[in-house]
Formats: sequence, structure tokens, C-alpha cells
Amino acid sequence: YGAWWLGRNRSQHPEAVPLLIEALQQRRPRDPGAGVEENAVARNAARALGKLAPAALAAVPELLAALADPDDGLREAAARALGDLRAPAAVDPICARLAGGPAVAGARQETCPRLGEPCEALLEALGDIGVAEPHVLAVIEPFTRHEWPLIRSAAARALLQLSGEPRWAEPLLALLGDNQLQVRRAALMDLGAAGWRPAVEAISTTLAENSLKLIALRGLVENGSGEPGDTTLLAAMDALL
Amino acid sequence: MAVEPLITAVQQASSALELLQATAALARSADAAAAPTLVEVLGFNNPGAAVAAVDGLIAIGSPAVDHLLQLDPRNYGARAWAVRALAGIGDVRGLELLIEALLTDVGPSVRRAAAKGLGSLQLTDLETDARAGIEQRCLDALVEAVGDGEWVVRYAVAVGLEGLALGSGWSVEHSNHGSTCAALSLLSDTAVEDASVVRLRAALALQRLQPS
Repeated sequence: YGAWWLGRNRSQHPEAVPLLIEALQQRRPRDPGAGVEENAVARNAARALGKLAPAALAAVPELLAALADPDDGLREAAARALGDLRAPAAVDPICARLAGGPAVAGARQETCPRLGEPCEALLEALGDIGVAEPHVLAVIEPFTRHEWPLIRSAAARALLQLSGEPRWAEPLLALLGDNQLQVRRAALMDLGAAGWRPAVEAISTTLAENSLKLIALRGLVENGSGEPGDTTLLAAMDALL
Repeated sequence: MAVEPLITAVQQASSALELLQATAALARSADAAAAPTLVEVLGFNNPGAAVAAVDGLIAIGSPAVDHLLQLDPRNYGARAWAVRALAGIGDVRGLELLIEALLTDVGPSVRRAAAKGLGSLQLTDLETDARAGIEQRCLDALVEAVGDGEWVVRYAVAVGLEGLALGSGWSVEHSNHGSTCAALSLLSDTAVEDASVVRLRAALALQRLQPS
């Protein structure tokens, strides 16, 4: 809980980052019999560190170590934090985890409905970090054909962020019309994160809560550029209040 | 089409989807006789149907206001939707509920709707003194809400302040014009406001309020 609080309040206290790094180090192999799980604290510490950018850049080596942990929940939290911190050092390790493509990294685990790797978080982190090298794009692209719409959405978002090519907006616009609310919500957030301004009309008319559409449109204003301009985007936001 | 069969269809709906479709059909009638049933739908915990009901109540307008104000305050979900309907209708009888919602409601989406609503009340038919008193209360509430913790509420406060000032026609010498601009300046100040979209919207409002 303390870890969550530090992140939530974007604490600038000089002790915050060292304490969170220490919490992140207190992890151990999963033991189903154990009571309070130390990995739960480590996961919260990773998430909090992501919110303390740029002061938390000192935590990058420890987050990279957590990215190799057997606990996939911790790998997911570490990937998101590294994305939040825009840590270029994370690009190669993340690409290595995704290198097997949808058939390996994106394959369902045998014992539970999760994927072999936390693909959504890994893909989103690559998009947020922003290293648009051809080998990075090549690792992401096969995931646009993953069987799960949420993974396809994350992959298209990352490619749109990195390449700016309109063709990667197409799958996201199509997912705004998906039958499942959960998928429409993800596509809204992904278009917002990519700042894809031509999507303003499609976002405004998506069947989802206005709160989420407003967050997506905020993303177009703050992360995007070009046409349509700010005044058009702000008018679309006003209409959703 | 007569309203009664549409009302019956809402009352007899046996699934969430049926309720949504029947409510949307009733809402399209925009008939004042539909108001009590549409208000009832706000309490059914079916967000899709509630959205349709809010649209219908806004289309009905003033005749729906009394039904909305009679809602049980303990029915939180229904009250939250009622705030949105009242904000959209803009009838002055909603003033107290909108101010209370903006300053005390726990839901950011409710405070957001209330802020926009306080900037768009229809006051043109009122006598000058009554109108000035209501404008003052809207302004005081919006200025207080500049310190809200959620960016989307502060965004709506900027929109509400702009709407209130443009609608009231305060001259630039009027103290209320000064208070509005001071509040918008805070929302457009990088040292105070973290969310750049809020700063952008507040700056746009200030620009629209300056005589060119």
C-alpha cells in the first residue's frame, strides 16, 4: 500500500525511489502456500516507480532484472514501468522476450488463460519508449495477427507510435466497432496513446463511456500533432462533457 | 405513435437489451408523458438504458425537471444520471442539485456534467435581479471547483466558466468578468495546472472572453 501511495502522489521525497528499489528486490519464487506475498509488494513497487519518472531512472537496472523474473505479473509491471520511464535500455530485453512471436511468446499457457509473456504490456512499452529501429518494428508486426483483439490493438498502437504510418491506425479504428466493450475500450486508449488525430470523429461516436472517450481525446490533443487542429479536438471534448 | 405502448414496452422488458431498445424508442418520442418512466429507468443499473433515458429527458426539457428533482437522494446511481439530465436541460430549478453535485459528488463524471451544466443554464426569461443572483451562485461554485482533483472536472469548469460569462454578457469592467478570467488564468498556468489539455482549454476560453 505504501508503494502505491508514493506513486499515486508522485512523491518527490529523496527516499522514495531508494525505498521502492529495495521493495522491488524483495521478491522470491512463487510459493502458493505462503501468506502475504512479497512479489505483490514488488509488483506495486514497480508500478510506483513508473509513475515517478524521471526521478526513478536510477531504478532501471533493477526493473530490467525484474523483467526476467519467473512471475509474469511482475514482468508485466516492470515492462509498464520501463515504458513509463522511456528507458531505451529496455528495448533489446523486451524484443528478446517477444522474439518468439505470437506462436511462442503469445501462446496460451497450459495451466491458465494467460499468455506465455505479458504481451500487451511489452508491446505498449516498446511504443512508449519510442525506438523506431527496423528490427523493433519487425518484432512487433507479427502480433498484429494475434488471435486476441487486445494484443492486436497493443501491437497496432506501438507500430503507429513508432512509424506514424496511417495503415497501423486501420486495425484500431476497426476495433472501435468490436462487439465487446472491453475491446472498444482498449482501442480507445490505444488511439489516445498514439495521438492519432484523424480518429477524432470515430472516437466521439464509439459505443463506450464518455469518460474513456474524453481520455482518448485528451491523448490526441497532448500526444498528437497536425490536423485536425486543437480547436476541433477541444470542441469534440466539450460535446462529451 | 402513441406513448402508452412505448411505456408499457419499457415496463415489461425482460432483458437488459430489451430494456435498452424500449427505452431508446420511448426516449425518441420526446413526449412529456414519458418523463416518469424515463426517470424510473435511471435507477435500473443499466448504463446503456440510462444514457438513452438521459437523452430522452433532455429532449423533453422543462416538463421533465420536477420528476428528476423528486428522485430519492439515497438512490445514488439514479441521482448521478439525473444530474446529467438536468445539466443538459439547463432549467434553473436544477441549480441547487447541480451546485451540490459539483462540490460534493464522489463521481468525477457527475461533477464534470454539473460543471458544464452550471455554465449553460437558460436564464434569459428571468428578471434582472433574480438572474444576477443565480449567475453569481454559478460563478462562485465554478470558481471553488477550480481546485478539483480530477483533470476532467477542471476541464469542464473551464468550459462552464466560458459558457457562463458569454451567456451573461458581463462587461469587461464587471467584477464577475474579472473573477472568471482570474479563475481561467489559474487553469491555464503551468505552475498550477498539470494537465496540458486543461491549460489549452482555459487559454481558449480566455481568448474568447477578451474583446477583440
